[in-house]
Amino acid sequence: MAKKFIDKSRRNDRLAELLIRIGGIMVIISVVWILVMISRVALPLFYPPSAKMTATVQLPAALPAGKILAIGAEEGQQGAFVLDESGSFHFFKASDGSVAASIKTPAVPSGAARVVSAEYTGKSAYNLLWDNGAISSVAVAFASVKDAEGKVTLAQDVSSQDDLSFPPSGGVLQSSARRIEGKGAVRIDRLAGDHLRVTHQLVEKDLLENEKRTNTSTEIADPLPGRLTALTVDSKGHYLYAGTDNGWLLRWDVSEPGQVRLLDTVQASEERRAVTSLALVLGDMSVAVGDAKGTLSTWFPVTLAGTGEDKRLTRIHRLRPNHGTVSVIIPSPRDKTLFSGDGTEIHVDHMTSERNLLTIKPGAAMVQTALSPKGNTLTVLDSNRTMTVWKMDIPHPEISFGTLFTKVWYEGYDRPEYSWQSSAANDDFEPKMSLVPLVFGTIKATLCAMLFAVPLALLAALYTSQFMSPKLKGRVKPVVEIMAAIPSVVIGFLAGLWLAPLIDKSILTVFLTVVIVPVMLLVTIFFWKRIRTASPLQRITRGHEFVAMIPVVLIGIYCAYLLNGVAETTLFAGDFKQWLYSSLGVRYDQRNSIIIAIALGFAVIPIIFTIAEDAISNVPRNLTAASLALGASRWQTAWRVVLPSALPGVFSAVMIGFGRAIGETMIVLMATGNTPIMSWSLFNGLRSLSANIAVEIPEAPLDGSLYRVLFLSAVLLFVFTFIINTVAEALRQRFRKKYGRY
Amino acid sequence: MAQAQEQNTNSPILTVSDLNLHYGEAQALKGINLDMARHQVTAFIGPSGCGKSTLLRCFNRMNDLVESARIGGSIRFNGEEVNNPATDVIALRRSIGMVFQQSNPFPKSIYENIVYGLRIAGVNDKATLDEAVERSLQSAAIWNEVKDRLNDSALGLSGGQAQRICIARAIAVNPEIILMDEPCSALDPISTLKIEELIEELKSKYTIVIVTHNMQQAARVSDVTAFFYLGELIEVGGTRKIFTNPEKKQTEDYITGRFG
Repeated sequence: MAKKFIDKSRRNDRLAELLIRIGGIMVIISVVWILVMISRVALPLFYPPSAKMTATVQLPAALPAGKILAIGAEEGQQGAFVLDESGSFHFFKASDGSVAASIKTPAVPSGAARVVSAEYTGKSAYNLLWDNGAISSVAVAFASVKDAEGKVTLAQDVSSQDDLSFPPSGGVLQSSARRIEGKGAVRIDRLAGDHLRVTHQLVEKDLLENEKRTNTSTEIADPLPGRLTALTVDSKGHYLYAGTDNGWLLRWDVSEPGQVRLLDTVQASEERRAVTSLALVLGDMSVAVGDAKGTLSTWFPVTLAGTGEDKRLTRIHRLRPNHGTVSVIIPSPRDKTLFSGDGTEIHVDHMTSERNLLTIKPGAAMVQTALSPKGNTLTVLDSNRTMTVWKMDIPHPEISFGTLFTKVWYEGYDRPEYSWQSSAANDDFEPKMSLVPLVFGTIKATLCAMLFAVPLALLAALYTSQFMSPKLKGRVKPVVEIMAAIPSVVIGFLAGLWLAPLIDKSILTVFLTVVIVPVMLLVTIFFWKRIRTASPLQRITRGHEFVAMIPVVLIGIYCAYLLNGVAETTLFAGDFKQWLYSSLGVRYDQRNSIIIAIALGFAVIPIIFTIAEDAISNVPRNLTAASLALGASRWQTAWRVVLPSALPGVFSAVMIGFGRAIGETMIVLMATGNTPIMSWSLFNGLRSLSANIAVEIPEAPLDGSLYRVLFLSAVLLFVFTFIINTVAEALRQRFRKKYGRY
Repeated sequence: MAQAQEQNTNSPILTVSDLNLHYGEAQALKGINLDMARHQVTAFIGPSGCGKSTLLRCFNRMNDLVESARIGGSIRFNGEEVNNPATDVIALRRSIGMVFQQSNPFPKSIYENIVYGLRIAGVNDKATLDEAVERSLQSAAIWNEVKDRLNDSALGLSGGQAQRICIARAIAVNPEIILMDEPCSALDPISTLKIEELIEELKSKYTIVIVTHNMQQAARVSDVTAFFYLGELIEVGGTRKIFTNPEKKQTEDYITGRFG
C-alpha cells in the first residue's frame, strides 16, 4: 500500500516535471522560431549583389568593319544589336552570333550620309547625330512572337521616335537633343573651338493643325575656364553641365529659349584633373562626375550657409574610385545606381548609400557599354569585337548599415540627415529609410509615458498597500486592474480624437494643473492636519484620505482650466502656440508627446500598479512593525523600510511596464501623428518602430527593400526588448541579493 | 529624562489600571491592573490566547495598527497617559522599544539596522552614529561577532545573532523600557541562553517586560511574574513566590503543567 503510494507520487512527479519542461522548451523554441522567421525576411538586405555572365558572342563577321556607335541587348539576353556608322542596326542571336536582321534607320535626314555619334536617351531610344549636323531620334524594340507551330522567336523593330528633326548645321562635333513636353525641343551643340550653342525649336500648331516651327539659337558667351572635355544635358533639357580639362564643372540654365544663364563654376577635382565623364543620376538632380584619375563623385545644388537662397553645386557623395580615367558613366534607369567604366572594368556603385556593389571585368578593353531599360542587363563590347552580356542581381542597392543607422545626405537636402520617408508620389523618388528617427520615437514615447506613469503608479501602489484601509483596497485594486483590460485601440481612439483636441484647445491647462494641483493638495493637507488633530475624525478618515483628495484634485484641474485664458493673455501675448513658435521656434502639433505620455501612461499604469502593489504588500508585517516600534512614522516606514525591501518587485513592475510601453503599437499609432521627426520637444509628435511597422507593412511590396527594412525594425524591436528584459532580470537578481526576498 | 528617572526611582514606570481591550466583539483583556517597577524584568506567562502579547502591545500602542481594536482604561508611562489621542506615539515608541518573536532585521546592512532609529529621528552625524552602533552592539553582546562585517547584510546572520541585532537596534535609541514578545521562541537552546544572559545584563539599564511560553525561562530571567488566563490577570508577584508558592489554584495548575 505504502509502496504503491510512493510509486504513484514519484510517477506524478516525473510526469509534472516532464510537462513543465516541455512547456518551457516550447516557449523557448517558439520565441527563437519567431526571431529566426523575421530575421530570414530581413537578412537578404545584406546579401551581396551578384552578376552572372549570360552570353559571350563574337560580332558576326558579316558586319561592316566600321566603327560601332551603340550596342544593346534584349532583356531576356536572347538577342543583341549594334549600330554602325551607316545608321543600320544589326540584330543577332546571343546564342550563336548569327545575324537575325539588319534594319536601316527610318527617316534619314536629307543630305545625311554617315552617323557621327549616337546618344542614348533612355528606354532604348537614341539620338543619332549625322555628318551634316542633323539629328534624328530612333528607338529599338524587341518583341517575342509565337508562330503557328508555337515556336517563340524574337522580332525586332527600329522606329522613328520623338520629333527632333533639327535642321542641319555644320561643324558640329558633339550634340545633345531633348524633347520639351508640349513645346518642342532643344539641342545643344558643341562646335569647333569649344563653342557651345543652344537651339530651341518651338512648335506651334494653328487651328488647322499646321505646324509652325521657330528656331532660336544662342551661343554661350561665358568664357570657359579650360578646354571642354565632357558635356551633358538633363532629360528635360533644362540644365547643361560641362567639364573642363583642368577640373572645372559648369552648369547653365538653358530652359528659356534665347536665354542662357551660367549658374555654377566649381572646381570638381582637387588636383585640377580633367573631368572626363558626366552623367545625370536618375531624377535629374545629381550629376555624376568622373575624372582622369578615376575619381567618381556626385554633385547637386545645395543652399550653403551664408549664400542666401542661392543653391550652389556641391560635392555630396564620393564613390569608390576607378583605376584609370573614367571614360563612361551610365546611370541606372531604375534607381540611383551608377555604372562607371575606366576602359578595363566597370564599377557598380549606389550613389546615396555610397556602396560599391559590383565590379565587372570584361576580357579586353571596353569599346562600348550599354545598360538595358530595366537596369539589370549590362552589355559590353570589347576591342576584340566580342560582346559580353551580364545579368545582374542587385536586390537592395540603397540599403547599407550607413543608410539605416547614420546620417545620409539625400538629394535636395542641405545637409546629411536621419530621415524616414518610404514613399512619395513620383517615380524617381528615393526612399529614405533611416531607422534612427523611429528608434528615437520609440524611446521618446516610452520615456514620456514612463515619466508620467511611474511616479503615479508607484506612489499609488505604496499608498494603496500601506495606508489605504483594507476594505477600500479590496475595491480599488480590481478597478485599476480592469483598466489594464481596456483595449489599447480604445485608449488610442480616445487620446487621438478626444484628448488631443481638448488639450489643443487649452494646452496651458496641462501645465497649470501640474503646478496648481500639488499646491492645492499641500494647502489642504496643511489645514486638514489642524482640523483633524485630536478629533474623532481621525479614526474615520484613516485609510480614506484620498477620498477627500478627489474633489481637491478636480477643483485644481478646474482652476487650471479657468486660469488658462488669463495666463495665455498675460504671459504669452494671448496665444501660447504663437508665442511658442515666435519666441522659441517650437512648432506645436495637436498630437504631441504630452498626449502620448498620458495615453500610453494610462495603459502602463495598471500594470506597474498591480505588480508593484503586490510586491509592496508582500513585505512582511513584522518589518513594518519593527520600524514603527522604533518610533518611525508610517511614511518613514513606507519609504525607508517597505519600499527598499520591495525594490526587486517594484523594479520588475517598472520594467514590465517599460516593456509594454516600448512594444505598444495602437495607442502610439493613433495618438502620435506618426511624424518621424527627431526632436525632444514635448509639443511634437513622433513615430515609433512598432507603429511604423503597422502603418507601412500593408503598403510595402512583398520582398522589396521597404518590406525587408520593416522586418529588420521588427528584429530590432525584438532585440531591444530582449536586452531590456535581460538587463532588468540581472538587476532584479542583484537587488534581491542586496535588499531581500520580497 | 535620565534625571526624572532618578527622581522617580521608586514610583512604578508603568501603571495599568482597569485596562479593557476588545477586538471587534471579542474581549481580549479584562480589567487589567498592574504596576511595573524600574530596572526589573517582568515576565508575562499564560497559555496561548490569554492576552499577554496584546497587553504588551498596548504599552507602545502597537495595537493602533489593528483596525478593530478598541481600548478602555488607562496605561500611565512615567505618569503620562499612553492612550490619550494627543500622546506623541512616536516619542512613546522611542521610549518603549520592542523586540519581536521572529527576528526581523531590515534588509539593510548591520550598521544601517542599528542606526535606523537614529536616522529616522534625523541624526546623521557619522561620529554619533558610529558611537551608537558600537555601544548598542556591545550592550547586546554581539559586537565581537559582527564588528568586522558591519556593512554586510543583516539578512545573512543566524537566528540568534539576528535577534540580538534586533535587541541592539532597540537599544540604540536609548529606550527606558524594552518589550520582548517571546524573543526566544524561534531560537535554539544556545542562542536562547545567550539572550537570557543578555537580559540579565540589560536589567541594570532598562526595564524589561518579556512575554514567554517557557516557564523555566520566566523563572530564570524575571524578577516579577504575571500570570494571565483568558484575558484576565490572575496573579502577579515575585517570580520565586509565583513558582514556589502561588496564591491561586489556576496559577499552580498552569505552572505544574496541568493545563496550557
